[in-house]
Amino acid sequence: MTTVHARFNLDYPNFALDVDLDLPGRGITALFGPSGSGKTTLLRCIAGLERVAGGLLRVHGEVWQDGTMFRPVHSRRLGYVFQEASLFPYLSVRRNLEYGLRRVPRAERKVQLEQVVEWLGLNKLMDRDDPSGLSGGERQRVAIGRALLTSPSLLLMDEPLSALDLASKQEIFPFLERLHDELDFPVFYVSHMLDEVTRLADHLVLLEQGRVIASGALGETLSRLDLPTARQDDAGVVIEARVAEHDETYQLSRLDFPGGSLWVGKVPRGTGALVRARVLARDVSIAIVPPQGTSISNILSARIAEIRYEGRDRASLRLAVGDRQMLMSRITRRSCDLLGLANDMQVFAQVKSVALIA
Amino acid sequence: MDFSFSAAGLSAADISAIWLTVKLATLATFILLLVGVPVAWWLARTRSRWKGPVGAVVALPIVLPPTVIGFYLLVAMGPDGPLGRITQSLGLGLLSFTFAGLVIASVFYSLPFVVQPLQNAFENVPERALETAATLRASALDRFFSVVLPLSKPGLITASVLGFAHTVGEFGVVLMIGGNIPGQTRVASVQIYDHVEAMEYVQAHWLSGAMLLFAFAVLVVLYTFNPNGKR
Amino acid sequence: MNRLLEAPIKIGAVKGVAAKLLALVFLLAAGQTARAEEKLTIAAAADLQFALEEIIVSFRHIDPAARIETIYGSSGKFSTQIRQGAPYDLYFSADIAYPRELESEGYAASKAQPYAVGRIVLWSQSRDARAMTLADLADPAIHKIAIANPRHAPYGKRAEEALRSAGVWEKVEPKLVYGEDIAQTAQYVQSGNAQVGILALSLARSPQLAKQGSYVLISDRLHQPLLQGYIITRRAADNPLAQAFSRFMSGKEARTIMARYGFALPGEVE
Repeated sequence: MTTVHARFNLDYPNFALDVDLDLPGRGITALFGPSGSGKTTLLRCIAGLERVAGGLLRVHGEVWQDGTMFRPVHSRRLGYVFQEASLFPYLSVRRNLEYGLRRVPRAERKVQLEQVVEWLGLNKLMDRDDPSGLSGGERQRVAIGRALLTSPSLLLMDEPLSALDLASKQEIFPFLERLHDELDFPVFYVSHMLDEVTRLADHLVLLEQGRVIASGALGETLSRLDLPTARQDDAGVVIEARVAEHDETYQLSRLDFPGGSLWVGKVPRGTGALVRARVLARDVSIAIVPPQGTSISNILSARIAEIRYEGRDRASLRLAVGDRQMLMSRITRRSCDLLGLANDMQVFAQVKSVALIA
Repeated sequence: MDFSFSAAGLSAADISAIWLTVKLATLATFILLLVGVPVAWWLARTRSRWKGPVGAVVALPIVLPPTVIGFYLLVAMGPDGPLGRITQSLGLGLLSFTFAGLVIASVFYSLPFVVQPLQNAFENVPERALETAATLRASALDRFFSVVLPLSKPGLITASVLGFAHTVGEFGVVLMIGGNIPGQTRVASVQIYDHVEAMEYVQAHWLSGAMLLFAFAVLVVLYTFNPNGKR
Repeated sequence: MNRLLEAPIKIGAVKGVAAKLLALVFLLAAGQTARAEEKLTIAAAADLQFALEEIIVSFRHIDPAARIETIYGSSGKFSTQIRQGAPYDLYFSADIAYPRELESEGYAASKAQPYAVGRIVLWSQSRDARAMTLADLADPAIHKIAIANPRHAPYGKRAEEALRSAGVWEKVEPKLVYGEDIAQTAQYVQSGNAQVGILALSLARSPQLAKQGSYVLISDRLHQPLLQGYIITRRAADNPLAQAFSRFMSGKEARTIMARYGFALPGEVE
């Protein structure tokens, strides 16, 4: 269900943006790419902070701008979280949070202050008069809360974690993941960090030099071999699985997904919980016969969907596990040739390491 | 000619002059803020090619001798001048020698001292703060009152105090267009001048002393609330 | 321009600049005083501006090399300044009381010498003043009347006296505007901001004002006589040019010019 349609065409001397996108109306869509790829500009265009002549933006059926009209930022029902929290220094934490809320007519308020305080763990901060004493992570949580309190139909986040140190980032991730579950409107999340994207996104849009080079579901897009993401050192797929059982003896948990199971170190979640796991291409090796006597316990039956050679030394493979789940594997070209690997072959994928990310 | 050794202390005429000065400065400052804020905001934000010329016109009273300003105002307010013609056609007579005329003259004379601190303050309002407010449903006017003004508070204080103090000290302009009418245009600065001219030095000392104390108090206020001149 | 009002100027920088400015001022002043002997600086009441300039032109026929500077303004102010050491060599006052005072206090190098009896007139640009009397000033159609400040300007004092003697002071006082000296008073009326003014006869007779308006003499029985006089200041005691000019002032040529501007001494034919 695509409910956001955006078309922007910008031509500045140093920069160009040329996109024509349909984005989902639910979940977190990551706008991903290197610095200068246009992701922030695209976000700002959607917000109306950059005024592009002739751009087109339709959100949930409402036209926010087209060639003839331009709805100003303050009239667009969106929330925006900037890289630096930008809290108003002369307002207390509470007044900051209430700033947008007060400007939304009572009848349209779908998000309440207490809800937001609870979601984002802001209780201890509510009596602070001066936001300058807050840590980076705390400030961003207030900023996110402040944006949510405008009851937006769209939440835009521009690298909200880049200005934070590692500890603060880890502190906020759980809150962002919770938002994933709580919100019934889409979030567009700009980032250049793949780990943020893999943890949070449902849909991935890849940008390069002002153009969209891919737009699709996270799992599917990450497993594509033709994209820059496949050439990264930490290329790999994301698996959405459910916790099926815990093995107390060996402190392991089994994750089930359509197409197979994986054993990981004990997951601190109950059975039935939905989790995300990452399997890197360099951790997946291929066997053409069922492996025997190996220490690798995660062996999945898979069919080779695509092979791509990179230079004379490497080959990347896209494997289908079951109907829907894709895996990525990176092996030497030599092995590929020696094993006689080809499309549609049934093979065994040996997964050496699985990282739980959410 | 007689040497009148005037009694020490402030006479009724002196107090009337001080009161008139305070009234003039208060009213002028109020009008200056009303006029100055939009002008300063425009100057701070515009990219139009008129920014330079308008800024220069606003700044003119800093470099023009007050007597020049006063002289041109006198001519302009006269029966053949542009202002005089307007006031006459409106049935208001002439602005020269009136309190209203002084107020208008003071607004011209003190304009840059109000506009420039305001402009500085407005220029220092971070664009990000305004963008944030816009994403939080604040319209342009709303953003001005809820973001720009609080962030510009030191500049507003400086502008008000400077405008007030500058009008209190006004002399050359008043001399040209005031006509020295007690209760109307005989402000403290002119009253001191008259005391000196009439060689009533004791009176001159008293009135000058009072104005000095007043100016000092104003500066103490300014520097207590705003030690760096801007934040 | 925008940066003019930033943080308070640093004291050290001010001291440096002030020292340089002071040095410059001293240099300039020294340059001036070096030539005191060959130069004459005259401080004269504002109403003399036209008559005196003509007299100086005439004086130059006899002494073409003479360097004479004139400053016109308020008599009271000059008197104060001379006490404070102002560099004037001759002082012409619209009220002889000022030079007489200076003389008694030892600031003069000559006796106070009368040069005219001042007369006041009604002058207007927009109305025909020739038919006006002081009583007419009460007319509500006249909104503003300019006189010189009676507190310190001789012509202003006489104007007030005349208005009181004519019995119109009560009606007229609310409409009065006060010029700091008689020249500014004239300017108020010339610019039309005041419809009528009580000015010095000498100014009304000057070419500029004569062209622009009309006047009528105010009877000198309505006010105290305004005897006008001058002195050579103590500072110019040894200045030969001062002596020469002083003698010229009493001569026939100068008196003729003065008469043309209405500056008559008692006994002279107007």
